[in-house]
Amino acid sequence: MSLARVFREHPERRYIMYGGKGGLGKTTFSAATAYWLAKQGKKVLVFSVDPQASLTDIFEQDIFGKGPVEIMPNLYAQEIDADRHIAEYQEEIRGKIRDMYGFAEIPEEIESYIQAAAAEPAMEESAIFDNVVDIIVGGEYDYYIYDLVPLGHALYYLSMASVYDEWIERITSLREEMEEYSKVAALLERKEETEEDQILAELQDIRYRINMSSSILTDNEKTAFFFVIIPEEMALVDTQKAATKFAKFDVPLIGYIVNRVLPAELADEDIPPYLENRIEMQREYLAKIDTIFGDQVLTRVPELERDITGLDMIARIAEKLFGGEEI
Amino acid sequence: MTHEERRAGLVRRWGRSAKDFLYGMAGHDMTRYALKTRGSMEHLFILITMGDLLGVPILPPYYSLRLLPYVVPQISTWKRRMLRERDLTDALA
Repeated sequence: MSLARVFREHPERRYIMYGGKGGLGKTTFSAATAYWLAKQGKKVLVFSVDPQASLTDIFEQDIFGKGPVEIMPNLYAQEIDADRHIAEYQEEIRGKIRDMYGFAEIPEEIESYIQAAAAEPAMEESAIFDNVVDIIVGGEYDYYIYDLVPLGHALYYLSMASVYDEWIERITSLREEMEEYSKVAALLERKEETEEDQILAELQDIRYRINMSSSILTDNEKTAFFFVIIPEEMALVDTQKAATKFAKFDVPLIGYIVNRVLPAELADEDIPPYLENRIEMQREYLAKIDTIFGDQVLTRVPELERDITGLDMIARIAEKLFGGEEI
Repeated sequence: MTHEERRAGLVRRWGRSAKDFLYGMAGHDMTRYALKTRGSMEHLFILITMGDLLGVPILPPYYSLRLLPYVVPQISTWKRRMLRERDLTDALA
């Protein structure tokens, strides 16, 4: 099975994610996949859910907090500016309070709560999580490519999704129960109508958003998740551990891509022992990777002579990643 | 006002009084109970969404903020209720 074939055989998988340890090539492959799809006429958005995003670096264009930026025809990239999103969100809450109660100033206690909430450690991730919903609900792209955060963080992101699910379900059902009591009281007092519970309406909207965001992460039909690994001990061990944990969250893992493979033909040349040792080491781990993951290994991508930035280099890596195949 | 009309008015008033009387006998307590439970749940609800205001850490603050505008008026009574000292008379309330 090749990576191109996965795309060819499952066109309904429109949400593409690359996961793995930090610095192994997630952003590179996200950009390369976006490039490959865009070249074939698919409208693609590659966006980052990482507060320390690197799409700006790989495309050599400042896109931070600018919404979807067109990199080339059909290829759009976006980096979410979480801080700005939070600031706008706080202002929206303040505006609502002022409008609802005709306050000129927000009461001090409420204001300090708004500020304290924004300083919570989970706030940045939550803001990005929520922003992703807006991106996806828009639905104007053929493919959405998530440039994910490194492993540990991605697990945190996933568990956040399931905690949110749980939280919102319970709170909404409590609120629904409260609504029942209001109705009973209104009925006994023979009031014609009860006031609509605005909190319940908000909760239902929040529930919709949370479900939307977290269901995509676990949707076997629409989502394809790929692990990026390199032929080294640590990466291999960590990836195996992570794969087990990801499986618990029902992430639709499609396969593994091995990155940074030293070209085998180098071994035939006259090379220093340093390089010889590294090639030998990689050969060992490549065999191990094949034994462990079998035909889930989709492709091997060679280490290039320089780092991957700019569209020319992205094009080269896309060529290696998809082996020149088309969708 | 004719005799007939006066009689009809009297019957209506009687009817209303009887209805109110019956409501007081049977319905009023139930209404009070329903409203009281609703009130307690309101405070519980604010606790699990806005607990940070009392120093109880609550997840996730991002979405709690969206509910904040609706509970602004209740916050002071809620804090009073949560933080006041309790004694035996609470059991009788």
